[in-house]
Amino acid sequence: MRAARARLKQVSRRRVLAGGLATATLAMPTLARAARPVLFGLTPVFLDSDIQLIADLERYLSRQIARPVQLVKRRTYQEITSLLVANQLDAAWICGFPFVQNREQLRLVAVPLYQRAPLYRAYIVTRAGRESQTIHSLRGDIHAFSDPDSNSGFLATRSLLAGLRESPSTFFARTFFTFGHRNVIRAVASGLAHSGSVDGYVWDVMREIEPALVSGTRIQHISEPMGFPPVAAARGGPRLAKRHRCGPDQHAGRSEWPGDPRHVATGWLCRG
Amino acid sequence: MIGVFHPQRWPLAVRAPLIVALLMIGIAAAMSKVVLDRLARDQAQSFRQLTGAYLDGLSTALHSPVIRQEPWEAFDVLDRARHKYSGVNPRIVLVILPNESVLAALDPATYPVGSIAPEKARIGRSDPDLSDPGGRVWVHRTLREGGREIGRIAAEIDIANIQRVRSDTLWTLLGVNGALTLLFAGLGWFVVHRTLRPLLRLSSYLARAGDGRLEPIPDHKLPPPDTEAGKAYRRYNAAALAISEREALLHRLADQERRALLGRYASAIAHEVNNPLGGLFNAVRMIQRHGDDPERRERAATLLERGLTGIRNIVRASLVVWRGETDDRTLTSGDIEDLRFLVESEALRRDLQLEWTNELGPHSSIAAQPFRQMALNLALNACAASPPGGRVCFSVRSDRDETVLHISDEGPGLPADCRAMLLTAASATSAQDANAGLGLWIVARIVSDQRATLSIEGPPGTALTVRIPHAQPDLRTAA
Repeated sequence: MRAARARLKQVSRRRVLAGGLATATLAMPTLARAARPVLFGLTPVFLDSDIQLIADLERYLSRQIARPVQLVKRRTYQEITSLLVANQLDAAWICGFPFVQNREQLRLVAVPLYQRAPLYRAYIVTRAGRESQTIHSLRGDIHAFSDPDSNSGFLATRSLLAGLRESPSTFFARTFFTFGHRNVIRAVASGLAHSGSVDGYVWDVMREIEPALVSGTRIQHISEPMGFPPVAAARGGPRLAKRHRCGPDQHAGRSEWPGDPRHVATGWLCRG
Repeated sequence: MIGVFHPQRWPLAVRAPLIVALLMIGIAAAMSKVVLDRLARDQAQSFRQLTGAYLDGLSTALHSPVIRQEPWEAFDVLDRARHKYSGVNPRIVLVILPNESVLAALDPATYPVGSIAPEKARIGRSDPDLSDPGGRVWVHRTLREGGREIGRIAAEIDIANIQRVRSDTLWTLLGVNGALTLLFAGLGWFVVHRTLRPLLRLSSYLARAGDGRLEPIPDHKLPPPDTEAGKAYRRYNAAALAISEREALLHRLADQERRALLGRYASAIAHEVNNPLGGLFNAVRMIQRHGDDPERRERAATLLERGLTGIRNIVRASLVVWRGETDDRTLTSGDIEDLRFLVESEALRRDLQLEWTNELGPHSSIAAQPFRQMALNLALNACAASPPGGRVCFSVRSDRDETVLHISDEGPGLPADCRAMLLTAASATSAQDANAGLGLWIVARIVSDQRATLSIEGPPGTALTVRIPHAQPDLRTAA
């Protein structure tokens, strides 16, 4: 675990997402060039408090593709997925679980590279200072999930419990959804929940930008690597570019995005 | 009887500032109460408005989460509102479902989701007591949907700031009012002392009047004549001058009376001496003519002895009575007997019956001269007032404590003005009624000087009783 943390410590969420999404939009030159803005959906991975980040991202993407881009946020994963499947969005960065659930209606546009691989992990976190060694010690907890359609924030833990021939309702005393990975961390840190399921990269990033909050939690369990949440588009939508590997975004370090370009996402898997 | 420490005995310069201070304290207490009551009302109203707005905001945001019984969303609302209401300082905030279980709490570690709400979070009095010694009060808001209760918000609010403001205000009021009270008391003392200074000086001069003399205030100490104090001082000086002149006049009159009395008694003595002179001369002629006859010579010698004895008694009594102030002897029974010769002479002259009782004991320690003067005045007055053939009683008795002089007559009774003069001690030291005799004025002065008591009975007739205590100041100082 210590090694895994060491690998993650240099990453910031802004850098991952800014670099990744910027590169993804560069891979959408064949989208309809009508005057209407490009509608790009975001799951609650982005927080309501990230208004400035979203505005900066929107402006950046618009400049990169020379078209207005409108980022669309909804409260749940389900709402974004539904909009995407209904062709109400040009593309969306969704979670792997709803992508698999709606595989027939969606096409993969791109997958961010996180630490040089399109992979990430799910964490189960508890309050800092709690003496619990295994997943079994969490039995009877009040457990906070992120979203019913979140791979790391729900499905991974559910799968883990299934391996123990348990379900959330039988293993935990009570569960609730916070509809946001940051909210899971808040719920656990405050004591509202005894434990929670959260995206590993979100926890890593928040440890850098909100150390006071994250220090109230500790990682109890790390899952096996899983596919990183993809950028998807509805089948039948505009034709996308052929598959290619995008290099590091050369504009990121010079544009509105602060930070060292070397720490931006190492790449982007795009599917045409 | 007023005790030594009774406030009425305190100096006016102390009492007046104390009264000012007490008034200030009373006013300050009343003002402080008004201010604190008003502050308490304003704070209560402000508290109600603030907590009302806080609970309104929470209840609006919590409505949906409570209906859906979403712990996270309810907690999220509480957590986000934590710093939104700067005027409210919630310590505990609970979202409680109708079954009294906690849906969410501001401090979920202490009040976990699903736990039973603590007893203290039950709905209590509707009007929170902001003077609660614990410094915290509970407020509640019931959440309803369609007229049905779906939950409630219970919040424990820290009112330490409110109480601190109240306490600060109270101490500020106490400090300011205390300082003002001291200041005004000091100013009151200064002003009153300065204002009363002329009055106090006048009072000291008047106090000396108790010693029987009024000393005029020197001119250089007189305030300007157009001031109240100046007018009062000058009136005092005028009164002092008038009283001084009257005293001098009375002394002159008394002296004249004494001389007149002396003349009367000189005349009486001459009469008393003249009466036996005829017999004496007859006796002398009898001796000259019949000196050889032993029987006649013996009769003449007897007549001579009786006549000369009478003359000697008269002269001796006169010497005793009129020997003057140089006589400082203690009263003796012989003094009383000497008086008898004088009074008997007057009684005989007026054809009166004189009953004389002399029971002066050995314990009498009073001075002889003023007593003789007083007794002679009263006895002669009694003789003068009695009709011919009337009876005059004179009696002197004494024991260890006092000497009692009793004189009665069968006259028409003592006139009212004379009676008033005798009975009013003040008049004996300050003034004399023109209608009353100087003899009585002298008696009144002696009675006053000796601190004796005088009682008068009648009419019919007049009975005077003077009781002179033995343990008295030196009677030799009397007139």
